[in-house]
Amino acid sequence: MPRSATRREGSPFTGIGPVYMKELADNLSSIRMLVLTLFIIVFGAFPVASSLQQLRTVVSSDAFLFLRIFTIEPEQVPIPFVQALNFIIPLMAIGLGFDLVNSEFNRRTLSRVLSQPLYRDALLLGKFLAGLTTLAVAMVALWLIVFGAGLLLLGLPPRGVEVARGIGFLVVAVAYGGVWLAIAMLFSVIFRSTATSALCALGLWLLFFILWPMIAQAITMAFVPAEITSLDQFVGLQQLGLALQRVSPGTLFTEAVLGLLNPETRTLGPMLPTQMRGAIMGAPLALDQSLLLIWPQVTGLIAGMIVVFSASYVIFQREEVRA
Amino acid sequence: MRRLIASLALVATSALTIAPVLAANPPPSTAAATTSTTPQTAKGLWLLTDYPSQTVRAGETTSIHFKLQNMGLPPEPLALSVSDVPAGWKIDVMGSGQPVAAAMPAMNESVSLQLRVDVPKEAKPGSHTVTVHAKGPNQSIDLPVTLTIGEIAPAKLTIKSTLPALRGTPKSSFDYNLSVTNDSGKDLTVALSAQAPANFQTTFTEGYGTNEISSIPIPAGQSKDIKIKVTPPREVKAGDYPVLVKASAEGATADQRVTLQISGQGKLSLTTKDGRLSGDATVGKNSEYTLLVGNDGTAPLEDVEMSGSVPTNWKVEFNPKTIQSIAPGDKKEVQAVVTPAEKAIAGDYVASFRAGARGDSANADFRITVTTSTLWGIVGVGIIAVALLVLLGAVARFGRR
Repeated sequence: MPRSATRREGSPFTGIGPVYMKELADNLSSIRMLVLTLFIIVFGAFPVASSLQQLRTVVSSDAFLFLRIFTIEPEQVPIPFVQALNFIIPLMAIGLGFDLVNSEFNRRTLSRVLSQPLYRDALLLGKFLAGLTTLAVAMVALWLIVFGAGLLLLGLPPRGVEVARGIGFLVVAVAYGGVWLAIAMLFSVIFRSTATSALCALGLWLLFFILWPMIAQAITMAFVPAEITSLDQFVGLQQLGLALQRVSPGTLFTEAVLGLLNPETRTLGPMLPTQMRGAIMGAPLALDQSLLLIWPQVTGLIAGMIVVFSASYVIFQREEVRA
Repeated sequence: MRRLIASLALVATSALTIAPVLAANPPPSTAAATTSTTPQTAKGLWLLTDYPSQTVRAGETTSIHFKLQNMGLPPEPLALSVSDVPAGWKIDVMGSGQPVAAAMPAMNESVSLQLRVDVPKEAKPGSHTVTVHAKGPNQSIDLPVTLTIGEIAPAKLTIKSTLPALRGTPKSSFDYNLSVTNDSGKDLTVALSAQAPANFQTTFTEGYGTNEISSIPIPAGQSKDIKIKVTPPREVKAGDYPVLVKASAEGATADQRVTLQISGQGKLSLTTKDGRLSGDATVGKNSEYTLLVGNDGTAPLEDVEMSGSVPTNWKVEFNPKTIQSIAPGDKKEVQAVVTPAEKAIAGDYVASFRAGARGDSANADFRITVTTSTLWGIVGVGIIAVALLVLLGAVARFGRR
């Protein structure tokens, strides 16, 4: 429809500012946001408190002590902080995004909003960016709490590299939240009922968390030949299993965070014995090398977020608003 | 007549009973005779000395060894005396270091004795005969000894070495066996010394002993084996080093030159130009490190070959691969070109470089930090850009009023 393109006047993003500010204000002042933030903080604070308690008893010197707050598996709580986040961030993103568009439909405010001098593009993008910002605010708050608690309880300042890696972690976490926000928004565009949308988003979340690892394994098992004859075959199967796992954004997030917060991580895939020879184990990678290592994961998260957003954009553009 | 026959018969029977006894036991007198006659040819008493005519020096004391030998005679005390002593001389008979007046050698034994002759300073040259007497109740014997006043052979020492030249490296120890002979008529205490080049250590030990000695007593006419151990300093240059071993006693000296032929030894060292044993490398790309191969030893090293062990599928080359020769104290540069495997994982690795020549080698462990190419990072950015382009395309395609 080139005609629609020619009929447009001005930038498609005029009016994005007011939408963004209004949505942000709504988000931040809503009870739902308060509940979600409390939820995240409580869920995150528990592992962090436990790991800090454990780290205080560590006597050996560790160049990356601050990062261990995130990754260490506390004795009392069986999940480390990043695992908790892996679980919680999607929930928060879905909570923020599942009724972004269809609630406007249901309150019959969409046509009123769109009668204002702004395009649908701006409305959708503004809503998405506001949701992302809200997520980022919550994550930064949580991050600062963790670092502050670390400063207080460990009594030593983090090094520059640790802060840089921490910031990288923050970016990855926000991108991960963005993927789920885009997915939730996609459902809110597709379904008019908020309940259906929430159910679908949560269903997808559960699928990725509980079912997907099993499905990936089952598919890999189907490819296992009667007899594995060579190392290449074995590695190929491992790669296949890993590639299937990586369809889940949670896997991408876990791997990216592992590369960032565990500087000793050299590879995220299988490592051949021949590659191990001569390698000095436990030697941390430089930050740029760690970033290069996790770059595919980060790319996948960001690109996935954009693609899902594009899909919801296309569907939203084709919808009839005046119903 | 009948009585006579009876008595004869009695004699005959008694003779018959005695005969077997006689046959079983040969007469003891004949047995004694054989044992006493076979080992010795002569019976008697002798006064013996090795040199019955000796030279003595005026103003000095000379000891003349002699012994009193008893062959096959029952022991008896023999009074010892000396007669014909020239005026002003003092001659004592000594036994075990004490003046003695009598001796009693056992049968087939001898008693060692000494004649201590004190010759006055003013004694005129000439010969004198003194007689030593040994006189017992049954035996008596004389020993005339001629003493000539003249020049006594001075104390004389000789040193001989069985192996006067040894060859080795600065690390080896040089042990020379020497025999020191006292050729004079006197017991001497021989002081040992050695003249060695600076910083060479010399120690003397006795024969097979372990104690370090500086002097050794040697009886007249005898020789002793001593050992000198020379330890050269580690950094000594190759060459011949003489060591003069001296033995001296009472004005007599003897020396023997022993030689250390030190063939130097090369010692390889391997390091880098700035001493840093770490470097960076990119996956699949050549990285050059400048190594320094040095010779800290004392002899030149020939044909120094470079080799290296790197992780699997890596490549390492050296330029040059072989260094023809490194002089002592010299250093040569070698370029090591390391290529990490295409599939190497980023991180730190250990590569070991080795320089080897005959007899010595040097190792250096090198820590290589492998970085991966940033190409995939750019690809990732490209993918995000494509995703954004898709979004922009959607905006252009589906954008509506």
